Amino acid sequence: MVCGEASGEIVKRRIFIASTASATLTGCGAIGTALNNNAGVRSILGAAEPFDYALIGGDHRAREYPKSDIAPVFRTNGFPTPTDSAYRALTASHFAAYRLLVDGAVERPLALRMTDIARFPQTTQITRHDCVEGWSVIGEWSGVRLWHVIAAAVPQHDARFVVFHCMDRDDMGVHYYESLDLHQARYPQTLLATHLNGKILDPDHGAPVRLRVPTQLGYKSAKWVKRIEIIGSLSRIAGGHGGYWEDQGYEWYAGI
Amino acid sequence: MTYTGGAMRRARYRYTRTIRISHWLWAIAFAVLVSSGLQIFNAAPYLDASDATNPARRVLSIDSPQDGVGTTTIFGHTFTTTGWLGWTGDGFGGATARAFPPWITIPSYQDLADGRRWHLFFAWIAIVCWIAWLVSSAIHGSLRKIVLLPRDVPQLWPMQAYYLHLRKSPPPYDVYNPLQKAAYSLVMFVVAPIVVLTGLALSPGIDAALHPLTIALGGRQFARLWHFVGMCVLLAFFAVHLFQVATQGVVNQMRSMVTGWFAEKPVAKS
Repeated sequence: MVCGEASGEIVKRRIFIASTASATLTGCGAIGTALNNNAGVRSILGAAEPFDYALIGGDHRAREYPKSDIAPVFRTNGFPTPTDSAYRALTASHFAAYRLLVDGAVERPLALRMTDIARFPQTTQITRHDCVEGWSVIGEWSGVRLWHVIAAAVPQHDARFVVFHCMDRDDMGVHYYESLDLHQARYPQTLLATHLNGKILDPDHGAPVRLRVPTQLGYKSAKWVKRIEIIGSLSRIAGGHGGYWEDQGYEWYAGI
Repeated sequence: MTYTGGAMRRARYRYTRTIRISHWLWAIAFAVLVSSGLQIFNAAPYLDASDATNPARRVLSIDSPQDGVGTTTIFGHTFTTTGWLGWTGDGFGGATARAFPPWITIPSYQDLADGRRWHLFFAWIAIVCWIAWLVSSAIHGSLRKIVLLPRDVPQLWPMQAYYLHLRKSPPPYDVYNPLQKAAYSLVMFVVAPIVVLTGLALSPGIDAALHPLTIALGGRQFARLWHFVGMCVLLAFFAVHLFQVATQGVVNQMRSMVTGWFAEKPVAKS
């Protein structure tokens, strides 16, 4: 049975090649994962972020679209809509009891009602929301320029960052938060949005006030904002990286 | 026909140190960029030919319609790809709904943040290597031997005919034959720049700074599609490249890309 022996050899060789290939791939995967979890490697890889910010974080305006490009359904991102009693009480009262706090390193702390926010000059933009996962959706956002609100509170000279404390939480109870530096907070397109596609913002899209930063990825556009804190350093807030996802390893500068 | 052996072999200094270092760094960067890129793809395992996400213009999607089943849909045609795509290992020994399997992603388990960290770092390495290669090979003079010039075009078909056994001998050429020049030129001056530009167009910051780039590519999701297709072309080139190195004197080829010195073919005496 020469043929039988020969095909047996071929089968053995194929098994050898297949097992070598899979062992090599598994080995590469293990090496990659080990490198990924090495603190030194992680800090080297993280060096790209300040470089990216310096290179592309300028005063560029995100593209604005015609009304015909607005998506019929604006896909929601982020955590599930809050269901705690405090938030339900707010929605039941149509946010009559809501106060947007602006405090920290400011001369004039504010507690703004929705009617106060509506008194600031209003602006509208049709921009694209780019999720870090890779998808995009176009919507029309209206509200007040973030900088108008911050300027009204008069930041002190040591102010460097703007932290957004939010009402949503993960399943461990950790609150969402985000931050911008003052430069990003000054962008004309950085909005505190109160309307989406001409309608009052609904709970699933971050009611009553959400941030809109169209020049960065979607996770920067914090939803359900309840307090804006002006501070000098991010290190004392939660994990110290300037945002809920930043504390999980995502870039603070999310322009790329 | 006798060969005089080593005495008649001529060594040629083919690759400068910068070219060699950038070649191997590029090889590492390419491996990392593909594996971290597939990790990133897994977070939104579909590609649309549009600006915003639009399922009506979906070109590719990798799904798990139910536990234990993975499917891949290309232009509306669905294939079962359980174990390979859609339903794969989770990187911890179990199985899960996941587009690309753990043995091809970095890290092996699903982690978008870490995948991005690798990708965005090595993307710069790849760009720096490309520039270093271009400058060094232009100064050294090897660039004009690898670029397809107008006078090489008439030699493309004779070279192909030789490979198809329609011609007894190849047309005369210097270091690289016309088909190699075409392949290298296409990869280095068309596909690689497209992959870089489409990658940049995915970034909202770059899009804000350079609207015309994203518009020219058809929008963000279209750029994502081109970025993926470009990777596939680079992978195909890589496969052919490995095959050629393996069949055209692997020791000599590898040595030349390590030391710079390439032993030319022995001169035949009749």
